[in-house]
Amino acid sequence: MKNSYFIKNKFQTMTFLVLAMIPLFVDSYYVNNISFFMLWTFIALSLSLIWGKGGILSFGQAAFFGLAGYSFGVIGINFSGVFGVGIWSVLIALIITGIFGLIVGYFLFYGGIYDVFVGIVTLSITLVFETFMSQTAGPEWTVGIARLNGFNGMQGMPSIGVNLFGYNFEALDNKGYYVILALAVFVIYFLDKLANSKFGLVLSASKEDRLRVESLGYNVKRVHMITFAISAVLAGLSGILYTNWGGFITPESMGLVSAALPVVYCAASGKNNFFAVFLGTILLVWISQELAINGRQFALVFMGLLLVVATRYFPDGMFLYFINQISKFSKKLSRN
Amino acid sequence: MVLLFNIIFQVSDAISFLLLSAIGLAVIFGMMRIINLAHGEFITVGAYGTVVTAKMGLPLPMAMACGVLVTIIFGFILERLIIRYIYGRPLDSVVATWGISLIVSQSFLIIFGPSIEGLKSPLGSFQMGDYSFSEYRILLIFISFLILVLLYFLFMKSRFGTLARATIEKPITSSALGVDVQKVYTITFCIGAGLAGLTGALYIPTMTCVPSLGQAFIVSAFVSVVTAGASPFIGLVPAAAFLGSFQTGITFFYHATIGLIGLLFAVIMIIRFLPSGFSGLIKKGK
Repeated sequence: MKNSYFIKNKFQTMTFLVLAMIPLFVDSYYVNNISFFMLWTFIALSLSLIWGKGGILSFGQAAFFGLAGYSFGVIGINFSGVFGVGIWSVLIALIITGIFGLIVGYFLFYGGIYDVFVGIVTLSITLVFETFMSQTAGPEWTVGIARLNGFNGMQGMPSIGVNLFGYNFEALDNKGYYVILALAVFVIYFLDKLANSKFGLVLSASKEDRLRVESLGYNVKRVHMITFAISAVLAGLSGILYTNWGGFITPESMGLVSAALPVVYCAASGKNNFFAVFLGTILLVWISQELAINGRQFALVFMGLLLVVATRYFPDGMFLYFINQISKFSKKLSRN
Repeated sequence: MVLLFNIIFQVSDAISFLLLSAIGLAVIFGMMRIINLAHGEFITVGAYGTVVTAKMGLPLPMAMACGVLVTIIFGFILERLIIRYIYGRPLDSVVATWGISLIVSQSFLIIFGPSIEGLKSPLGSFQMGDYSFSEYRILLIFISFLILVLLYFLFMKSRFGTLARATIEKPITSSALGVDVQKVYTITFCIGAGLAGLTGALYIPTMTCVPSLGQAFIVSAFVSVVTAGASPFIGLVPAAAFLGSFQTGITFFYHATIGLIGLLFAVIMIIRFLPSGFSGLIKKGK
């Protein structure tokens, strides 16, 4: 018990406990806002897995985000009223995203595409998704009864939850906050376990030298393909939660800017450390929301600056660097 | 006859679009292994430079030259400030140039607003059968091939080209032999930036002038460079020729968006079964 995961990572566990207590003290408006910050952590974590641990820079996370969001919407609208649609539409959307991730991963890694080329191909996929969705304004673009609705985006999907005996268990407001927080705790736990498993070690090792790991008898391509699919599912989770949070999804969520945001969150936070990415993402989404009051472009200029400064001066992540400096400083203080 | 001419026009128009959008990216990638994600913004800078100077009363060719010059200066400053510190870190260079792209495109939005008045398409158009063709687009086809020929001479016949190719092959050896490697990199980056600016300057009379106009080029640019393979100088022309014909074919039968999606699908297929791209195919043939 002493070496259990949650005791070993004291700071992490305490942060989660503090986050769990927030709804007791603040207005539900702010709680809802913090859920919005937190739902972005999954797409950042997905990139942290594939880029930080795997050394593969993917810009496709926004495509998975959008694919899952749209699938969730289409299923929800078509089967609204059917029992438990708010639960299984999530699962099906995640499965669709996972399968798509697996297919893309197969073509990438079994085709021998690595390094910057992965970035280019995944970015092209994201942009093609956006282009395609933007031109679906006409009435001919309907799936079942769900209008894709082009540039204005799709809306009117039922929210996550289940209707039992006339009671509505909807994942909105404070309940939604706890759902997202519980998911975050679980995902970070899962990712940490995964990174320290044999699978994760092969993944990290292949970041250093792919050929050597391969000649030791590991199937690196399969490891990369599966990792890519897992990260697709995680990015999709963000997309579903986002669609659920606002009740709509637009093609803009798969645009160039949206594809850049997870990269900013990871690069600025410290892409190797899942918990740092979690905290950093919340902080950055919050900051950019504050900045966006004067116009979204100011927030994006700030994000761009952050990205340039982080890669130029803090290759291991700005946020993580400052946390380490503070902990070093406090150790020095306690020693004196 | 008219139909044949139309098909040739459409295909070469698509090819020259791919060539011009990719050329600046290909020079920078081929020489320094840096994928410049701010490529689209370089194109935007060239386009805006052209429009602003043309509005000030300069004749169009002069305005275009100004646009290119502005982009070269812009590229030079970026190289000095940021890019030179991240040579040899390919993934980081992707991330950093993306940061630059965000800053530049959003700054354009802040400074110039969502759109400015564009330029009129120069030259006229002529009628052939039921179709009407823009003379300017035909001129662009010739210009794109002219640029390729000039680049070939620059990199294959001039003294700078020799030094540059030596630097790609063995940077340390060239440096030991007295080549100023840093300077070669700077000049190459500026050439790449200038070519991107030229693309923007050449295409802006046919487009609307919005801060995100560079984005129209980047998918074509990336897919051409990816399918061109490890040495984009050799592979770019066959890659553009193949992709251009393919895209025109699909667009002809369906419509533009399906053409773009088909393009991407073709690219994924090519790199799945031809991992070293067209340049690998050519090298194998030799």
